Amino acid sequence: MTAIEARGLTFSYGGDPVLSGVDLTVSSGEFVALVGVNGCGKSTLLRMFAGLLRPTTGTVLLDGVPLTGFSRREVARRVAVLHQTLPPVPGLTVRQLVRQGRYPTRGALGMLCEPDAGHHADQALDLTGVAHLADRVLDTLSGGERQRVRLALAVAQRAPVLLLDELTAHLDIRHQLEVLGLVRELRATRGLTVVAVLHEIDHAARFAERVVALHGGRVHADGPPGRVITPELLAEVFGVAGRVVVDELHGTPRCLPDHPLAPGPAHGTRVPAPTE
Amino acid sequence: MTATRPDDDVSPDDHLRPDDDVRPSDDLPPDGVRPGRGMRQGRGAGQRRAARPGGGLARRGALGVAVLVVLVVAAVAHLLSPGVSPGTLAGVLDGAPHGLPERIVWELGLPRLLTAALTGAALAVAGLVLQGALRNPLAAPEFTGVNPGAVLGVLAGVASGVFPADSPTGTLAAAVLGGAVGGALSWLFTARGGPERLIAGGLLCSAVLAGLSTMLLAYQPARFGNALRWLVGSAEGRVWDHLGVVSWWIVAWIAVLWACSPALAVLAGGDDHAASLGLPPHAARAVASAGAVALTAGAAGLAGAVAFVGLAVPHAARWLARGEPRAGVPAAALAGAVALTCADALAQLLTRLVAGGALAQRVGVPTGVVTALTGAAVLIALVRRERTT
Repeated sequence: MTAIEARGLTFSYGGDPVLSGVDLTVSSGEFVALVGVNGCGKSTLLRMFAGLLRPTTGTVLLDGVPLTGFSRREVARRVAVLHQTLPPVPGLTVRQLVRQGRYPTRGALGMLCEPDAGHHADQALDLTGVAHLADRVLDTLSGGERQRVRLALAVAQRAPVLLLDELTAHLDIRHQLEVLGLVRELRATRGLTVVAVLHEIDHAARFAERVVALHGGRVHADGPPGRVITPELLAEVFGVAGRVVVDELHGTPRCLPDHPLAPGPAHGTRVPAPTE
Repeated sequence: MTATRPDDDVSPDDHLRPDDDVRPSDDLPPDGVRPGRGMRQGRGAGQRRAARPGGGLARRGALGVAVLVVLVVAAVAHLLSPGVSPGTLAGVLDGAPHGLPERIVWELGLPRLLTAALTGAALAVAGLVLQGALRNPLAAPEFTGVNPGAVLGVLAGVASGVFPADSPTGTLAAAVLGGAVGGALSWLFTARGGPERLIAGGLLCSAVLAGLSTMLLAYQPARFGNALRWLVGSAEGRVWDHLGVVSWWIVAWIAVLWACSPALAVLAGGDDHAASLGLPPHAARAVASAGAVALTAGAAGLAGAVAFVGLAVPHAARWLARGEPRAGVPAAALAGAVALTCADALAQLLTRLVAGGALAQRVGVPTGVVTALTGAAVLIALVRRERTT
């Protein structure tokens, strides 16, 4: 069954188009990683899947129905998004944040009258292993804890599709693995469809079953990690000369980037960020 | 899959959800019986809650009593502060005032008390809602052009003769219009800078509007009676006739904003966060701003430009509510009512001390002076505390 379908999406913020004709179909229960250089339109595409941006042309379908046919709350009951960061809210505790996951279902008045909203929050916190943080103030948590709590919010939202925008940015390696492991676990136990923008190609290879590389506003490569992640991809999409080896323990590809390539026609006009 | 439940028709697979056996209220069987609901709650969330100190009815009862005691103490202090004897106050309690002292309490003291309480509640809730919706701890009715706009609206209405100076409905309508214009001007001054940057434009706009009010008052001082009551804000001189429409207006808007409070809590997490949870951020901010303008206008029409209540009290209310979204608006309303009642009691005491005797009946220390002085002190204390923690 198809969870999300993008048909001929184009988008521009005013200048050059960020996306120019993206077609992508995500099946129910898939874990898809979106990779590409900074500014290639990964996050833009994710925001369109969540109905937060309207494509200039093209359609996004949720469960086969055009997204524009849903109200915002109806979309939120189907799709949960975790943006890269959550602005600080003074005094907000973990349980109070996770309770907000009931908003798409209940609305403001419904939440006001709901006797056991805390119960739903506690369940979600249990599932993501952060029940012990329930009464902590969100702003006092570490980066890894925050992301787990935000996953609890997505769980409380009970949406079948989970969109993640750079969830592991600014986390140290241990917490990156922890958070992505939790995503994989939640996907298995709750049958979620996951589309994640990932900065780290190795993480995409390790955790996703399908990798979609965006380049020049289009889908450059799409398939299982072993087939998509190749030295050619590193050169064409990321502008990096490198080797790809197979991680014997996990059976997934692993990148060994060597040096940046000089910007050339194969790489378009976008200059690769040397930090990647 | 039972498709009758709105939150479940989109679930990927009911069997995959490990929490199915502990959901208390959503899993109603088709016949509507709730098997063992109480027991399940007892084992699940209830147990966790019981582990925290307090909780349950006893705590709520104690809280209710405490609130009531604070309210009554503040009210009694307010009524006694102009020099009324406790005996006179007791005499008023039977509802039928006898003699001049009792009638003064009935016809001046009580309306003044209600004016202070309603104004305080309205400004505090307006401030709380603005600070949340604009995500700025300095967003207050007096810093966003709303309060000065409302005062200017009232003064302009009276000066132009659109309505008589004592018309409660005219005053309210003019205050709403002025407040909305003031808020809109601040928004325009900021010109797409985003809600967080509204204060720069708001301060500028507020200063201009307050200046215009001063000009009007200087131009026709006789027309407005006590000019200070509009410029600095005062609960003095209000009688029952002034309170009718406005009190319902204020109570109704506080109720509306309380009903919206879960949405306001979602909005406080930012536009992306709100939109992702299904709340259109712009519409939500518009509703919140409309409520704040309506409440500020109600307050300004009653007591003029009372400053610092809408700025400082919401901070206290948030601390009292501990982030619980449902508690924020009631806490702000109560704290605002108590704060302005106490400030006005202090103003009446100061009036007696400063002016003394007969003069006190005519020239009073305006409530706004007390709120400005204490509010500034409270705010400095808050800023220092936030910096150290």
